[in-house]
Amino acid sequence: MPAVFRPDEEPRLRELFDAMERPVELVVALGPEEAPVQGAGDFDFGAETVRIVEELASLSERVTRRVEEKPDGVTMFPAVLVLPAGEDRGLRFYGTPYGYEVASLVGAVLEAGRLVPSLAPESLERLAALDRDLAIDVFVTPT
Amino acid sequence: MLLAYRMALASPRVTAAAIEAGEFPRLAEELDVRAVPRIVVNGVPQWDGSVREPVFVERILAPSFE
Repeated sequence: MPAVFRPDEEPRLRELFDAMERPVELVVALGPEEAPVQGAGDFDFGAETVRIVEELASLSERVTRRVEEKPDGVTMFPAVLVLPAGEDRGLRFYGTPYGYEVASLVGAVLEAGRLVPSLAPESLERLAALDRDLAIDVFVTPT
Repeated sequence: MLLAYRMALASPRVTAAAIEAGEFPRLAEELDVRAVPRIVVNGVPQWDGSVREPVFVERILAPSFE
């Protein structure tokens, strides 16, 4: 399996993770997987997700990880739950964050590591006034 | 994707998930995913493509999603 990060990327990522204002926990949720697209062969999406998350967490003590079988509230597998300071704030990555999509997971960790989200003050104000629940799903592909 | 995560971190009423379309083909088909990123709010497809923060926040919070 190829390395998840290029050797020249690692020092910068270490620096960014080490500088996070709060620690971030990654939970890999494993369970029954949907039959993937044709051509995927016997690729083990769950094992690959564990490998990616382990490699990411190995870069800094500020990032920890654990693996859970079918945790409560997760119905699609594999999934990665991103928990700022161990708290579930509803950040998820469903599927295997390989290729280009590993950047989404890295971005989620760095954002979760901030005490104040990096949004414009106007956006934060509008969100503070939100009076209903919103579940945002973003469909992505690794290529 | 990061904007969605930022919004979830900014409000306890918002959750944000990236979904790898190729690994969940049934759901992707159900939501008619042809282009990515496809943005879905409360199970209803909204738009495709990346937009800047003010537009993203405006669209997500638009009253029509109530």
